[in-house]
Amino acid sequence: MEFNQIIEALVACAGGDCGNLSSILDLLANAVVAGLLLGGFYAAVTIGVTISFGMLDIVNIAHPAFIMLGSFVAYFVNQTFGVDPVVIGVVFTPAFFLLGMAIYRIYYNSFEKRGQESIRGLAFFFGVLFIGEVALILTFGVDYRSVDAAYIGTSVNLGVVGLPMRLFVPFVVSMTMMVLLELFLGRTFFGRAIKAVSQDRLALQLMAANPARIKELAFGLSIATASVAGSLLIIIGPVEPSIGRDYIGRVFAICVLGGMSSVPGTVIAAIIIGIAESFTATFYGPSWSPAIAFGLLLLVLAVRPAGLLGR
Amino acid sequence: MRRSSLPFLIGIAVVAFLGIAATRLLGNQYYYFAAYVVLQYVVLATGWNILGGYTGYVNFGVAGFFAIGAYTSVVLIKLLGAPMPVLILAGGIVAGLVGLGTGYLTLRLKGVFFSIATLALAIVLQTFVTNWDYVGGSRGVYTIRPREVPFFDNYVEYLFIVMLLLALGAVAAAWLIERSWIGRGLAAIRDDEQAAEAMGVPTLRLKLFATTVSGFMMGIAGAPYPYYVTYLDPASGFSLAYAVNSVAMPLIGGTTSWLGPVIGAVLLGTLQQVATVTISSALNLLIVGVNLVMFVTVAPEGILGLAREFAEGRPGRRAAIAAMILGILAGDTGIAITGAAGAGLLQLLGIAIPLLTIVGGGLALVRPGIGGLMMLASAAATAAVFGLDVLTAIPIAIGAIGGALAYLARYRITASAGYEALRRA
Repeated sequence: MEFNQIIEALVACAGGDCGNLSSILDLLANAVVAGLLLGGFYAAVTIGVTISFGMLDIVNIAHPAFIMLGSFVAYFVNQTFGVDPVVIGVVFTPAFFLLGMAIYRIYYNSFEKRGQESIRGLAFFFGVLFIGEVALILTFGVDYRSVDAAYIGTSVNLGVVGLPMRLFVPFVVSMTMMVLLELFLGRTFFGRAIKAVSQDRLALQLMAANPARIKELAFGLSIATASVAGSLLIIIGPVEPSIGRDYIGRVFAICVLGGMSSVPGTVIAAIIIGIAESFTATFYGPSWSPAIAFGLLLLVLAVRPAGLLGR
Repeated sequence: MRRSSLPFLIGIAVVAFLGIAATRLLGNQYYYFAAYVVLQYVVLATGWNILGGYTGYVNFGVAGFFAIGAYTSVVLIKLLGAPMPVLILAGGIVAGLVGLGTGYLTLRLKGVFFSIATLALAIVLQTFVTNWDYVGGSRGVYTIRPREVPFFDNYVEYLFIVMLLLALGAVAAAWLIERSWIGRGLAAIRDDEQAAEAMGVPTLRLKLFATTVSGFMMGIAGAPYPYYVTYLDPASGFSLAYAVNSVAMPLIGGTTSWLGPVIGAVLLGTLQQVATVTISSALNLLIVGVNLVMFVTVAPEGILGLAREFAEGRPGRRAAIAAMILGILAGDTGIAITGAAGAGLLQLLGIAIPLLTIVGGGLALVRPGIGGLMMLASAAATAAVFGLDVLTAIPIAIGAIGGALAYLARYRITASAGYEALRRA
């Protein structure tokens, strides 16, 4: 599908034959819906980075590796015990939480305490990213893996728009998680403490609170979201260890575009990227879509680094 | 010319002479083939270090800059049949300009945005090249080597000498920058950008200079690549191995001097060339990743920093440093040997045990007692699982010596600390 075909269809419609145009409009509607659902899922993938990078100033570029870990945990438990992947994702959040806390403790003691987080901290997470990927390759191989659940493969038709359940379920789960996180960060004592760390660390210290302790818990939370996001990823499609890399640029693009530390901003930005990718895939071909998020990221960094909802 | 210039220049000349002499003596093509890759990493790591080590801005898009050099060559070869020096110059200039552009867009922001932008840049470029049919698209492109080159028996030797000269040139350039006012300005930016700005250091211009030079070096490293592989596709041109290695090598070698990236590239590059014979490329990446994490966590100044500390010589510390180096050596050779020894659970053990040795080696610097015990335990485990033969004896012996050293270091440290306390009292 190319743009000149759309123009041709428009011209034909003006001449009285609207068959082509209506099929293009159907395609358009489907692309929007698919993009919306995909974007909702991207929000789940990104929220961990929004917490770690946006709020805590920890540049966790290894986040996609934790998401892949979540996917493969879901794959393993699902294939062994037949449990629903979403349930697995939720059940394993405490384990991921502890893993996140452990990693933050190493990060804090080795880099943050010494004020070396900028270069060596980045390199540390870069190394963790590759260790995670290779560990998964060695354990599960490089084949694509998928999970089984009753709703995968079915879809609901709403008029001309098809609603594939393998995208719709992750969308709903992801949005639920966003709402819960937003409530948690805004309403609870601990959530507000995280926001306080992100806004003024020194002031928090002067109130006799320990920022490192709060950051430890918050980083645990950000890794815990990877468990859920990973299980959603493997519902959407088959997964192999190295596809995590495709998400690095995407999550940071969404995070920056959404204004770094805002949950609603993340959701909006994720949906924008999702729709943009879905349009590109429909009208130019899927081989171009990886460049969309990255292109947008470069553009945002150049033009408006504060993001859409940034201050 | 200042005090220590002469030894450096003589060193460069000697290495160049040795390289050229080698092509007259050594017949086996494989050595040039392998050495080319190591030298290529010397150029890439040195280029990365100009920005990453001297200035403190991390570039994750090395693969992108490398591929710019390679694909510029492809275009020029197809378009004009251009000769090697033109290819190298053009690849360097295009990559340098891209570096300048990226820097101009993002360097006024916080440093981490530059890192993320470079990561993004590599992917955008890869998508672009994948969809560009003239350079082969996703199918890849064949480059036919010229039939013969003057003075050389065959093309691989010629490529080896070209890369050797590029590597020496890059190292010399890094050496010059380091010693000039530019190098001092870059170091000031790395230590405290605001203070540097306030003292009148032209920070933005210096950073742009560094990104351009750094991009140029990565571009020239990629320029001869189409002739080296003869078949180039986006997956190999943009391989993430370049990014991981170019970040890991300077950080492992030591970032503050031109020597660090060279040490890192020669060690890690050679290790990988040897290891590819026995183990998969995934395991190779694992070795690099583990070494990187280990060094940045426990030895932030890299091998150069460790050597400096060793020379200063507090006895307990010396033993701990030696133990760490031995632990990492034992672990790396261990993965290459036992990692290839079997499949399934046996392979997993063959990787996990050496990893334990490496972690033990790292711990030797911080908690010598625990680190030493870990190294001893994993040496014993290697012997128990894989048996003692000529090959496994290497990691077992090195690991055991390292473990014993670390365990002894524990007492030396406590003893010297006790002595210090007594003296102060």
